[in-house]
Amino acid sequence: MPEDLADVYRTTYRALVRFLYRKVWDAERAEDLAQEAFARALVHKPENARGWLFIVAANMARDDARRAARERRHLTLLTAEPRDAELAAEAAVEAESDRARVRAALAALSPRDREVLLLWDSGLSYDEIAAQTGLARGAIGTTLSRARRRLVQAYEAGKSGEHVARG
Amino acid sequence: MSHVDDGTLHAYLDGELSAAEAQRVDAHLAQCPACRERLDVERALITRAGELLALAAPPDRELPPFRTGDVKPAPRLWWRVRLPLAWAATVALALGIGTYLGGRGGTGIAPRPYARSSKMTDGLAPSAPALAPDTPGRAEREARPSRHEQRTPPPQPAPAPAVGAIAEAKPEKRYQALADSLVALSARDEAVAAGERSMLAAKTAAPAPSRLEAFKGDGVGALQKEGPITPDSARAVLGRDPMVVPDLPIRGLYRGRIHGYSGLVIVEQALDSSTTIDVVNGPVPPMGLDAVAVSGANGAPPPRPDMPSPGAQAAPGRAARQRAAEPPAFYVDVLGPVSADSLAVLKRRLRPLLR
Repeated sequence: MPEDLADVYRTTYRALVRFLYRKVWDAERAEDLAQEAFARALVHKPENARGWLFIVAANMARDDARRAARERRHLTLLTAEPRDAELAAEAAVEAESDRARVRAALAALSPRDREVLLLWDSGLSYDEIAAQTGLARGAIGTTLSRARRRLVQAYEAGKSGEHVARG
Repeated sequence: MSHVDDGTLHAYLDGELSAAEAQRVDAHLAQCPACRERLDVERALITRAGELLALAAPPDRELPPFRTGDVKPAPRLWWRVRLPLAWAATVALALGIGTYLGGRGGTGIAPRPYARSSKMTDGLAPSAPALAPDTPGRAEREARPSRHEQRTPPPQPAPAPAVGAIAEAKPEKRYQALADSLVALSARDEAVAAGERSMLAAKTAAPAPSRLEAFKGDGVGALQKEGPITPDSARAVLGRDPMVVPDLPIRGLYRGRIHGYSGLVIVEQALDSSTTIDVVNGPVPPMGLDAVAVSGANGAPPPRPDMPSPGAQAAPGRAARQRAAEPPAFYVDVLGPVSADSLAVLKRRLRPLLR
């Protein structure tokens, strides 16, 4: 029986936005991508809409990140403004933000650990995560335990690092 | 049993172990203080990781309406609209030429295209002078009796019927499209219903064969939206709560008429700021709507026969169960300028309008 996409939309949309947000770090963009994923689901009518949506969303976020990186490079060439200064300004703005620290901590994870953690946090089951990532189901718990530990460690390290930096 | 590894502890805490595996872990924890301690540590770790991720969550916003703007517009709607549009354009062109020639010549050339166009509009320009197109000579003679009368040349009224024709063509185009979509839906459903009938023959009374011809016969203006109606009156008309798409703002409720049948209630809902859909509700369906009514009442539009989906086999079974549970004599459909797939999704979301 085809899943009722409207039901999937109600139950999964926010999780998908959350998942995407932690990849693109822009709420508007995450919502746009989520909408786009659902629009594609309407056309493709996948059998397992939920899993399909997360795969499509992950791909879109990756393409989006690549494009953003390209645009940044382009912009850097155009503006001749030193990228370091820009980064420092960004860092200053975001330094106080827990969000930015979590973002940095997530960036410290391996791509696979990060993916599994984000999928779990988006409400996917071990089975779904295994299907999504190609990992064995038995490896999901191990991957999650490592990802969680590293996330917390990286976050705390970032915090104490700031304290050290401030003196 | 050896100690429980981290991965198993996390799977245990995540509730992702099978019953047998979880029992083994329970048994080990009962006799291993070290692992019990580790369990507490891992539980705290999971909680902490969850908290951190929550810090990096996007702002919690209201669930936006299911917007399908990114989907390529359905070509079929355009095809449905095309023919009436082409007619409107033809009529406008013919009248335009008539006006142009008439305005320039001011003499007998004008009445001919005018007469022809009035014939084409088929009653849309009832005030058209009854000029026989096959007797142009007489028409010319009558059209220019004297110079004096040319001050008020007969082509002058031409623009008025032209505008009238287009203005009238517009709603007709719309309703033609709506009516056509109903026909298309009923034809589509008919194919599925035929398959279902054979399955259902033993259990339930087969739906009456659809009198599609009767419905198709009067395409133009088949579905019309009339005056507004209160929810209570709508309930009285329908004998039950009108169906609406939940979460979509309701622009208004209207009486509706189809094919001379006036018992319809149309709920106009906003899909987004620029798109409205019409949810057409009806009690016992008028002639020709049997097939539509049956599938519409299920709330589960069957898959299109030309695009077999994995659920194609399962759907009739579900529909059959729902049909047995619900009286089928209630017609509901969703119409609007979005793709057929979106309409199908919306149709499946339909719920009774609560008091």
